[in-house]
Amino acid sequence: MKAFEWVSPTSVNDAVKLLRAGATTRDPDEAPRPIAGGQDLLTTMKDYITRPARVVNLKAIRGMDKIEGDARRGLKIGALVTLTQLAEHPTVRRDFPALAEAAHSVATPQIRNLGTVGGNLCQRPRCWYYRLEEAVCLKKGGSECFAATGENKYNAILGGGPSYIVHPSDLAPALVALGASVVVAGAQGARTIPLEKFFTLPSEGSVRRENVLANEDIITEITVPASAFAARSTYLKFKERDSLDFALAAVAAAVELGADKTVKQARVVLGGVAPVPWRVPEAEAALAGKRLDQAALDEAARLALAGAKPLAKNAYKIPLTQALVRRALGKVGGLNS
Amino acid sequence: MQQQTPKKKKIRVPRVVNGQEMMVEIEVDDTGGPAWGPNDAHRLLNHRLPRVDGPAKVSGAARYTHDVRLPGMLYGRVLRAPHAHARVTKIDLAAARKLPGVKAAVEGLKDVRYAGTPVAAVAATTPELAADALRAVVVEYEVLPHVVRAEDAMKPDAPKVFNEGNVKLAGTRGDKERAADAFKTCDAVVEAEYRTPLIHHACLETHGHVVDYRGGDAATVYASTQWTFSIPEDAAPELGLQQSAVTAVVEHMGGGFGSKFGIGVEGQMACQLAKQAQAPVHLMLTRHDEFLLAGNRSGSWQKLKGGATKDGKLVVVEARQYRLGGLGDGSQAGQPYVYSADAIYREISSVHTHEDSSRAMRAPGHPQASFAMESLMDELAYKLNLDPLEFRKKNIKDPAWHRQLERGAKEIGWARRNGVPGGGAGPLKRGLGCAVGVWGGGGSPQCKVDVTLARDGAVTVAVGTQDLGTGTRTYTRAVVAEELGLQVKDVREEIGNSKLGASNPSGGSTTAASLAPAVKHAAYNARTMLAEKVAPLLGVKPEEVVFADGRVTGGGKSLAWAQACAALPPAGLVAHGEWQSQLAGNGVHGAAFAEVEVDVETGHVRPIKLVHVQDVGLPLNRLAVESQINGGMIQSLGMALWEGRVMDAQLGLQLNPGFGDYKLPGALEMPELVPVIDDGDPREVVIGVGEPSLIPTVGALANAVFNASGVRVRELPITPDKILMGLWKGGQAA
Amino acid sequence: MADEQDKEAPARPSRRRFLKGVGIAGAGAALAGRVPDAAQRDGKGAQGAGAQTPAAGTVELALTINGQRRTVTCEPRTTLLNALRNNLEPPLTGPKLVCDMGTCGACTVLLDDKPVYSCLVLAVDAVGRKVTTVEGLGTPERMNAVQAAFVEQDALMCGFCTPGFVTTISAYLKQNPRPTLEEVREACKGNFCRCGTYPRVFAAALAAAQNATRATDD
Repeated sequence: MKAFEWVSPTSVNDAVKLLRAGATTRDPDEAPRPIAGGQDLLTTMKDYITRPARVVNLKAIRGMDKIEGDARRGLKIGALVTLTQLAEHPTVRRDFPALAEAAHSVATPQIRNLGTVGGNLCQRPRCWYYRLEEAVCLKKGGSECFAATGENKYNAILGGGPSYIVHPSDLAPALVALGASVVVAGAQGARTIPLEKFFTLPSEGSVRRENVLANEDIITEITVPASAFAARSTYLKFKERDSLDFALAAVAAAVELGADKTVKQARVVLGGVAPVPWRVPEAEAALAGKRLDQAALDEAARLALAGAKPLAKNAYKIPLTQALVRRALGKVGGLNS
Repeated sequence: MQQQTPKKKKIRVPRVVNGQEMMVEIEVDDTGGPAWGPNDAHRLLNHRLPRVDGPAKVSGAARYTHDVRLPGMLYGRVLRAPHAHARVTKIDLAAARKLPGVKAAVEGLKDVRYAGTPVAAVAATTPELAADALRAVVVEYEVLPHVVRAEDAMKPDAPKVFNEGNVKLAGTRGDKERAADAFKTCDAVVEAEYRTPLIHHACLETHGHVVDYRGGDAATVYASTQWTFSIPEDAAPELGLQQSAVTAVVEHMGGGFGSKFGIGVEGQMACQLAKQAQAPVHLMLTRHDEFLLAGNRSGSWQKLKGGATKDGKLVVVEARQYRLGGLGDGSQAGQPYVYSADAIYREISSVHTHEDSSRAMRAPGHPQASFAMESLMDELAYKLNLDPLEFRKKNIKDPAWHRQLERGAKEIGWARRNGVPGGGAGPLKRGLGCAVGVWGGGGSPQCKVDVTLARDGAVTVAVGTQDLGTGTRTYTRAVVAEELGLQVKDVREEIGNSKLGASNPSGGSTTAASLAPAVKHAAYNARTMLAEKVAPLLGVKPEEVVFADGRVTGGGKSLAWAQACAALPPAGLVAHGEWQSQLAGNGVHGAAFAEVEVDVETGHVRPIKLVHVQDVGLPLNRLAVESQINGGMIQSLGMALWEGRVMDAQLGLQLNPGFGDYKLPGALEMPELVPVIDDGDPREVVIGVGEPSLIPTVGALANAVFNASGVRVRELPITPDKILMGLWKGGQAA
Repeated sequence: MADEQDKEAPARPSRRRFLKGVGIAGAGAALAGRVPDAAQRDGKGAQGAGAQTPAAGTVELALTINGQRRTVTCEPRTTLLNALRNNLEPPLTGPKLVCDMGTCGACTVLLDDKPVYSCLVLAVDAVGRKVTTVEGLGTPERMNAVQAAFVEQDALMCGFCTPGFVTTISAYLKQNPRPTLEEVREACKGNFCRCGTYPRVFAAALAAAQNATRATDD
């Protein structure tokens, strides 16, 4: 880890200023970084993937560590809320189960005890090449995505190119499915961004980043609206190694069912398969008005992966993700499949 | 002690050279000497003894090499080359030396033949400053073409790893023509390729040393090693000292599994740094270093063809076996491994790549060979519609394997197995598999043990050996306590120091079979010597003195232990012990059974239950032997389902050099584990047990996955992608 | 050793700060306020302008470790693990440096009674919080229930992962004194062992729970 100066402001405004003032280089990997739980940031710093000369501690800022609200009003989740807090919160577990399940699925108890909600959304990709300092890939300012033609078992089958990372966050697909937004403090004050518009594909935003945040921007809060489908939501994560792993594929699903058990509306968001949480409106639309029987699940699963373009070593993610889509929808629909 | 007539006898013993085990014939005194007696007649041995270093280890008090802290100690780091093949054309340490806290910097290897080759090393006052110094070292490379995949290395125009070529035939066996003819008589023939990746030892304590040298004519080297006595020999030339002036200390060590013999390039550089700085240097590899330059289990690529008749006779096996050991030769047991066939033809070759040399790893060469052969046996059995267990029994002679297979089959419930591979309703499918293994594990005459009885009754057993976590400290005490009629707590052990009596390297599962006999001998001698002192007080002959229950008894009189020792001269007594061939054995079997559940929609494999039945002769400590068997099963499980080095062919770099991406099994991966000590083994001798327990589980698991899912995965690890793609292709995976 | 380091020139021109916990947080707060919002200049006691002023070079931290006030001199980048092992005198080497990436659990310590990877905590972030290492749970002579059960059940071999497991499980049993096997596995899934002690680690955790429960019941 490169030496850095550590500063611990007590207000969001000061934090933004300190992040802005410390920016002395154009290399985004050397810009000042905010630190909350540090569970991802420190790993990139130890491997010199990020090399900030200034680290701005956010944990001395008060009021960002609370979960407020309920099923009727929706949730306000402070960015410093830990994954443990979120996973264990009774309201979240009862009324927003996808969110509690996603939080619980993250890494290990130790990481969840420090890792924060804001940090989880801002974590950097786990692509082998990105994480290897010696491999100067596209995301580190190089000219090539080595995964495109290399060892790409864990890489994207949807939305890839020119970089083929997958977004590592477990909360992100669940929050997108629940229609959440993030409140961001920046140089121009606070703004609210729907989470669906927060993440950027490598082909749209900067290939060096995974979201719309400017370097001095700080997520202060996540809002989850009350919805008719939050209570019938789930997050299914498939790991190669259950004890500790990122998702090979994941699905966040939520449905609102009518009195006749037909789907009034559905949300299906894929994780672990694309550079952003991958919402599949085609599958959602196909479910509307249907009962969640096996045929409907099969059709939704097929549509969810219809656009997949696997690389040489990750075609298995198609049947895997299809299975998760069927199971997630079956679960929220009360089926056993 | 009474001297026996020095009759001679010839025995075969294992010798370990750089971690590679070979059997050699030697001549030893046939002394008669002490015997262990019946396995079920021991008071402490063959019982469940909590390990004596347990309290220190569970409370953080145990001091490992990594934990050594000395006044003025510097922290060393090595700089790894980022190229798989290159020549260092220029190296400049000046900028690094100028950085704050940096006290020494040395150049390393110039000829880079694997990514990770240490090209320089630095030492600074803190690890943080040492890391800064590494980045200030300027190295220029002439980058050369590399090859890191066996298939690529075998091509005629491949970059050369060695001038003599990348493929080296190690040997052939059998008759090619006869084998070819034999296939004509078979009812079923299976031809398949099996592959296993490079596996990492992944010792939790990385390789490294603390070299305590502050100038002058002596040094102490703390080492995380499996061979205390290799350290002074290796360190002395680097420090410019006499070998006898260097003391090695190995109080506790955090795992070796075959990778920690000798001081290594990292130890040489630690010595050089200490010499330059004239200060103690702590140089433990980082985890990333450890993956790249601290050895591995060689990968394998095995092209097998086997044939059998419909009554279940294995007729012929033809094998082309490639050992993938990077710069090293690798290791692989010859096929058809433990099975007998009428005709055999095999070729074993090494294929070299630009990767660090493989090293011995817990049962070198065996799990690779066992996985492939046991898969082939299974494929033949299914093809012939035979029970895979019965098919094995028909082609294996030794009754020990029959006994163990029957015991294991009972433990796992073999009769429950899936009649049709992949059959049954629903996505979750259970399956069973089995496999067998073989190992040596004998002892050899290197240990010199002292048992000291103090006049106040204190008992000390001293020998330089190291405890890798196998429980050496505990049985060393127990053997002495058993002999003297004392409790384990009444004896103190001193180990892990090259100034103590000689001992052998802990490789090839030879420690217990080499050390325990020498300890027993020393304790036996101590007892005999004490008996001679005490006999007159009791008014009996020395051989009539009884040592039991912490008392020394004879002729109707009884002395407490301390009272008896008071008969000793002021200096107490020191009894020496050496290896006794009659106390050690050699050659064990082993059978494993696995039950798994495969989710055929996701490819997820859940291990449900593992059983391993192991003969060990006399189990010195049942608790520790069971732990060893558990450990073997779990490492085999890791190899079967998750582990393996991943290299990028273009970059020549390892892509998973950390515990996030190199996936060791964790708590949620654990099945029910049933370690079974095969008490049907009648031998009253000590045999090592560390390695055999790792061998067969990997094959048993692969076969269980097939039985459950109908997918035959021939390339380890058996990950969900391979199972899913196999299901897609109708049962044929990689 | 802390003194030794001060004599060595630090990485950058040193502006030494004395950061100490000022204890603003209420007992329930999870994160905010647990770190100092003020720094004292050069240990002279005068309140500085807040920690808006960056801390760089070497810093002196007052930490609460195993119930004792301990002073550590280190850099802002020094992890809590390295600070415990290298910058304390005498050092605490129970927590082990194994992966340094939050992927193995051997460095587990308790931060305000919750298990965390000390390799993924900056020492500066531990100011004002309660740090407990395996040494604070028991000694070879006076082991806690989990430690004693580990020895009894042979839940260790090389022992390098053991302090992490002991720490994780000791904390977990306080939270859930009568766990099931599945709950134990879930609780220690962030700790990895290479020797293969898992089944006996689980057995030890369950035995410790039972022993503790029995002791309470008696």
